[in-house]
Amino acid sequence: MSSPPAPVAFVAQLALLSLISFGGIPSILPGIHNLVVVTKGWATDREFADFYAIAQAMPGLPMILMMSLIGWKVGGLTGALASAVATCGPSSAVAFVAFRLSHRFRDASWQRIVRRGLVPVTVGIVIASGYVLARAADNGWQAAAITGAAAGLILGTRISPLWILVTAGAIGGLGLI
Amino acid sequence: MMDTLNSREDVDVTLGALFLEFPKIGLCGIGSMLVWTRRVIVDERHWMSEAEFAETLSLGQFLPGPEIANISIYVGSKFRGPIGAIIALLGLTAAPLAVGLVLGTLYLRYPHPAVIQKVLGGISAAAAGLLIATGIKMLMPHRRRPAALFFAALAFAGIILAKLPLLTVLVGLVPLSIAVAGVMSPKAE
Repeated sequence: MSSPPAPVAFVAQLALLSLISFGGIPSILPGIHNLVVVTKGWATDREFADFYAIAQAMPGLPMILMMSLIGWKVGGLTGALASAVATCGPSSAVAFVAFRLSHRFRDASWQRIVRRGLVPVTVGIVIASGYVLARAADNGWQAAAITGAAAGLILGTRISPLWILVTAGAIGGLGLI
Repeated sequence: MMDTLNSREDVDVTLGALFLEFPKIGLCGIGSMLVWTRRVIVDERHWMSEAEFAETLSLGQFLPGPEIANISIYVGSKFRGPIGAIIALLGLTAAPLAVGLVLGTLYLRYPHPAVIQKVLGGISAAAAGLLIATGIKMLMPHRRRPAALFFAALAFAGIILAKLPLLTVLVGLVPLSIAVAGVMSPKAE
């Protein structure tokens, strides 16, 4: 039986999953893991976890970088770039059409109600994500203090987040956490 | 309505501005892209009001794909149509992807000093604080609506205490939250 070469198979699967990644790419991570590690054996569990950690530590959208790193492993630089396009290309086309449609009905009263209902849930999820991140980074009261100080500085001052991140990185690098 | 009063439909946003600002968001966004996206779009450029930003994020979260990519598509297409959407999305993703691929493959290939891990630990502790603060800022336009605070708390509890998946929380709470928003008409608030 002839099957497509690994990079083509991975990119095609990724593009399909991108279309149904409602709630973000993390929602299709189990599917990706199953394909890449369990079914095809293109990467080990350890590599998969490393890709995830690296993607979280780098600038940019983590899931695009993670899929590119898998694509790199499967098919070199071309695989990496094709994977990046497949991760956000199809979903972006859907988003574009959806935003266009929602903009057309922007002032309809039902849409205002929908937006008012959506926002609180979104905000709760954002704050929960911060909490999860804080717990994952937690190494005791020092790390918790940095998290609290960073939140306080953003809410209470106009200081740039960049300075907060640089300072926190320096504190971490000096071994104070 | 606050969200229509404050949004700047009249602001002239050039393709060049999109091309400059989105790579900045992409490259600065370590730990959380959302912090920088909100800061640049709401605080620095005033391309959206606080309320419009929160609404766009909600929609972006519901749609397939990365939510921040979806916000860039919204901003690009709002001001400059399809070309604007493509420029914003490319600006957001291209530069950080190049940096990430180079550094990522180097990191995987060569041994690295332990201090990098410690620096990253400090950065992610602060990034967590920035994300929490960003969520609180987005809640501010709704702070006088008890129903909004209630559903925000419920979504938080669903993820943290009940440990439900994101999609379950969205699908379970959003219809309820919309129903309550519908019953409490804007006049009453």
